[in-house]
Amino acid sequence: MSDLVRQPIPVPDEQSAAFWSAAADHVLALARCTHCGTRVHPAGVVCAQCLHPEPSFEFTPVDGRGTVRSWVVIRDSFLPGFRDEVPFVLVDVELDVQSDLRMIGRLLDGPDAALSQGDRVVTVFEDIAPGVAVPGFALEART
Amino acid sequence: MSGSFTARCEVAVVGYAHSVIQRNAPRTLGAIALETALSAIADAGLTREQIDGFTTGSLLPSAGGHASVDGVSIVTSNWLAEKLGLNPRFAAGFQGFGQLAGGVMLAVNAVATGAADYVVFHRALHNPRGVRYHVNPMTEARGSSQWTAPQGYFGPLAMIGLPYNEYLQRYGASREAMAEVLVEARANGARIPWSYWHNQPITAQDYLDARVIVDPICMLDCDIPVDGVAAFVLTRADRARDLPNKPVYVAGYAQGSVRRPRLPVHWPLDDIMEAGFDVARRLEDSSGLSLQNVDLPQLYDGFSPFIYFWLESLGFCKVGEAHEFVQDGGIRTEGGLPVLSGGGALGNGRMHGVPQMLECYLQLSGRAGERQISSATLGLACHSSPHYGGAVLYSSEPL
Ligand SMILES: [Zn+2]
Repeated sequence: MSDLVRQPIPVPDEQSAAFWSAAADHVLALARCTHCGTRVHPAGVVCAQCLHPEPSFEFTPVDGRGTVRSWVVIRDSFLPGFRDEVPFVLVDVELDVQSDLRMIGRLLDGPDAALSQGDRVVTVFEDIAPGVAVPGFALEART
Repeated sequence: MSGSFTARCEVAVVGYAHSVIQRNAPRTLGAIALETALSAIADAGLTREQIDGFTTGSLLPSAGGHASVDGVSIVTSNWLAEKLGLNPRFAAGFQGFGQLAGGVMLAVNAVATGAADYVVFHRALHNPRGVRYHVNPMTEARGSSQWTAPQGYFGPLAMIGLPYNEYLQRYGASREAMAEVLVEARANGARIPWSYWHNQPITAQDYLDARVIVDPICMLDCDIPVDGVAAFVLTRADRARDLPNKPVYVAGYAQGSVRRPRLPVHWPLDDIMEAGFDVARRLEDSSGLSLQNVDLPQLYDGFSPFIYFWLESLGFCKVGEAHEFVQDGGIRTEGGLPVLSGGGALGNGRMHGVPQMLECYLQLSGRAGERQISSATLGLACHSSPHYGGAVLYSSEPL
């Protein structure tokens, strides 16, 4: 067996399959409660907003734009599959689609990108294996 | 709705024991726990047969995705009771983070209700061999980790790095300010004989030169994983007065909690602070005391930014000003609030909230020896992040 360790591949389950199949097509589809319309990420087994006894969620595409709330620069990864990727930046983003809906992803502008709280980003996808893409972010072009 | 704690000062800590803290102990954790529990029972002036209650919070470590083995990598209440040859009326474990406050709460409730008369509360912490503490060689991300690990978001350093950077950016704090926290923790830990860092203080420059792992978190912002065990004995206040040590009374306790769904290990700063305000209000409601009267606030510091979050959420300084408070000498044991007088986790090793609880016990029972702060009367022992942890108020006198 090779000692090449690859970065973790997401394994879809009942709650996440629709998210990952949309991601494979580079579409950000987030769970939405069919009863009250609240978005939740990640999809849960119940809706904490309306507490409906028969929870049901649909995954519909959302605008992947958002605002940077925080970030870190990973200089040493605890996941061996990312050892060759360091340093890289992870951003904590509040998506425009719903207040306080946050998503964390790699910032694909590289480790030296100048960042400030409030910076605008868009969701972009990284293909990490055949049929598997992971959402990350890129800074919105500043004019 | 009244949050008043009807058992205020009816339960007391009456004895303790603490093992030496080692990077890798030559004995199993279970063997150390057994010896430490027996020492604590003797310290309290009791015999083994009198102990009829056991509590702990045994969660963690999860290093390297290793499997927990009771008596080796964790020690549960039931394991300890069984190996001590006892058949206790009450044995329970706290399920979550905030194991210190949680385990004490279980013990206090058991004593206050009469579910047990003499409870041993212990905490055993292990540093697994042959793995880097947090490294996980996963190649597939299942369950909750599928939302973060494929992006490279993994482990507690990234977890604390995000809210810490959120703080640094929002309030313009500097790394120099945090150096004060580390210098204070290690100066105090250096004076504690059982500490892993005994006789090893550091300078501000040592902190500023430390390797950055997950920027802005460097090596010295994190406590070091260790093997170690502490045990405390709790009983009813009226029984405590017949025992050899001066009792330290439990005046109240409180927990915080997570209010909204988040990605796994995603801890936005405002979530932490909001829960911290809850903890502060609940502590005052439960005890009937003002936190401004706390003269021994032992704040949790497993990661250094927690010191800022606890200082601000408990009202010891204004929100956004902890970094200035610290830099102006506000947490120096000499002349400031003795926030880290017990060395904390940064000055002792990864004993979770044990150093905070132990310092409250030692100071308020008058057993801190040459480290005694003569004026201390009301202590607060915090553990974990406010939104996953909690805090216990200790009083030197029954109120
Ligand atoms: Zn709903």
